[in-house]
Amino acid sequence: MTKTRSRLSGYAVLLLALGMVGGLYTAVAAPKSQAAEGANQSIAVEEGRQLYLQGCSTCHGLNNQGGAGGPTLIGVGASSVVFQVESGRMPLANGGSQAPRKTVKYDRTQIDQLAAYVHSIGGGPTVPAGLDNLSDADLSLGGALFRTNCASCHNFAGAGGALTRSKYAPSLSPSNARVIYTAMQSGPESMPRFGDNQLTPSEKKDIVRYVRYITSASDPGGAALGRFGPVSEGLVVFLVGIGVLIVGTLWIGARA
Amino acid sequence: MTESNDSIRDRLKASADQDEQSGSGDTRGSELQTSDFQQTDSRAELPHGEQQTLQRSTLPAPTGLDLDPAARASAERKVAGLFLMSVVGVVGFIATFIAVPFDFGTRFSTAYTPLLGFFMALSLTGIGAGAVLWAKTLMVDEETTQERHHQASAPEDRAAAAAILKQGFQDSGLPRRSLLRNSILLGAGSLALLPLPLFTDLGSWRHKERVLSTTAWRKGSRLLDSLGRPVKIGDIEIGGATTVFPDVPGGRTQARSASLLIRMRPDQLKQQANRADWSVDGHIVYSVVCTHLGCPVKLYEQQTHHLFCPCHQSTFDASNQAKVLFGPAARPLPQLAISVDAEGYFIAQGDYAEPVGPSFWERKPSYDKKAGS
Repeated sequence: MTKTRSRLSGYAVLLLALGMVGGLYTAVAAPKSQAAEGANQSIAVEEGRQLYLQGCSTCHGLNNQGGAGGPTLIGVGASSVVFQVESGRMPLANGGSQAPRKTVKYDRTQIDQLAAYVHSIGGGPTVPAGLDNLSDADLSLGGALFRTNCASCHNFAGAGGALTRSKYAPSLSPSNARVIYTAMQSGPESMPRFGDNQLTPSEKKDIVRYVRYITSASDPGGAALGRFGPVSEGLVVFLVGIGVLIVGTLWIGARA
Repeated sequence: MTESNDSIRDRLKASADQDEQSGSGDTRGSELQTSDFQQTDSRAELPHGEQQTLQRSTLPAPTGLDLDPAARASAERKVAGLFLMSVVGVVGFIATFIAVPFDFGTRFSTAYTPLLGFFMALSLTGIGAGAVLWAKTLMVDEETTQERHHQASAPEDRAAAAAILKQGFQDSGLPRRSLLRNSILLGAGSLALLPLPLFTDLGSWRHKERVLSTTAWRKGSRLLDSLGRPVKIGDIEIGGATTVFPDVPGGRTQARSASLLIRMRPDQLKQQANRADWSVDGHIVYSVVCTHLGCPVKLYEQQTHHLFCPCHQSTFDASNQAKVLFGPAARPLPQLAISVDAEGYFIAQGDYAEPVGPSFWERKPSYDKKAGS
């Protein structure tokens, strides 16, 4: 009896010891992996800082404080950086009423590093993940929201349009999902900001999916005519309409 | 072609001809041409006046219907039917105008304009299609050749023209076919009545002034966004804007009530003293109906605070009473006074103080005084 109990207690001690070792390992190992992630993040921030100092600090200041020609970047968040750089607007070539789209100067990794650096200075809105696959987004709701919130400036087909004093709302067709999303978040230049209480992240994704849809959709009615609506279409209707009237007149005047 | 060239030469050389006839023996470079001209000028002597009269060809009428009384009667009925369809259109137009309600939100009101258009199209098409069908089936189709001639026709030309007119009148069948004559008189005559009811809208007895000078905004009605959600304070970020509608049944479909809620930093807002309590912490609401011609002014530039009308480029300063900065608009956009209820939702303090949208006949100058602008 005593022998049996002592043998069992031996197992119990072994089990306890193993458990303690395992528990100790997880307790030690978990902070280690977090630390690794943090280290990756700080590497990204550091890489971003190097890119920032080379490419952006001339205008935006060595400490993001803004300066000659560039506004402060404190508090704009990763979102604004992604919009400006990924759409090719930044770095700006020269001043003007509005920053035009240009060839994108940085790759996706570099853009994320820049964004991580600027975000580390003042915080702000961040870019959500999952924008690459929007098949779950509600296309029709996105359309309804697009028409009431976006279409007045960007045109019902996303073709863009004029604003005051040589400013303009750009065409949306070159924009990828991240650019469209971050534009709504950050409200660049003349564009109003659409906060998450006004358009929830899910609604923003609906809009992004709709914009991607209309800018890549075919034109079932025939020629798109620039998708500018009444101006180009009116011209064609006028010319074709007059032509039809002339043909009709000739037909009426022709011998039976 | 030859005739036409000759007649041009006629006019060019008219003065030379006169000189020639006055008997002056001057040697001029144009003498040769003058004699040439005399040959073609047939006015004085009329040696070949036949050339200038209108000649009717003797080709037989190609319309088979003229030979077949049954087909002719059938075509006649079709034409008359089209003319009478025009009468139906006019009656329907007037009936729609009187009977179909057009007031916002009432039943069948969406059918009002399409019905007016349908009946107007019916009446115009009836007259037009009837006339074309008539000309194509029933009228005698003869080929006539008209030579070019002097602008003032010779007496015998005029006589010939009169004869042709008389002949045309006979050919059209008006004297014989009383059904056609009466139906086109009725159709065309009633068509003249078609625009008359529209003139009644110029008076104020039908559209009451109230219709144009009020919107659906009421005291305490919440501001709904385009999805029908009430907008709370804090929903809109600084630099943001959203279209809002009154929280009344059907309010989101009444274009006149559409408004734009804008948020800017409170220190960016230049408010007049009498409008100090019309906005809440930098939140300000304007009508989006342009005061020029009623386009939606929803292009808000958050940096300049410009509100821009895409139709005719009227530009309003949202930070300063929506005053007109540029463009054809004559007045600022009306501002809606708002406040916040106990739950933090935006509510209207009442309707707009002045009529929204473009000017109209009954719009009184006192509105502007009321709005304090």
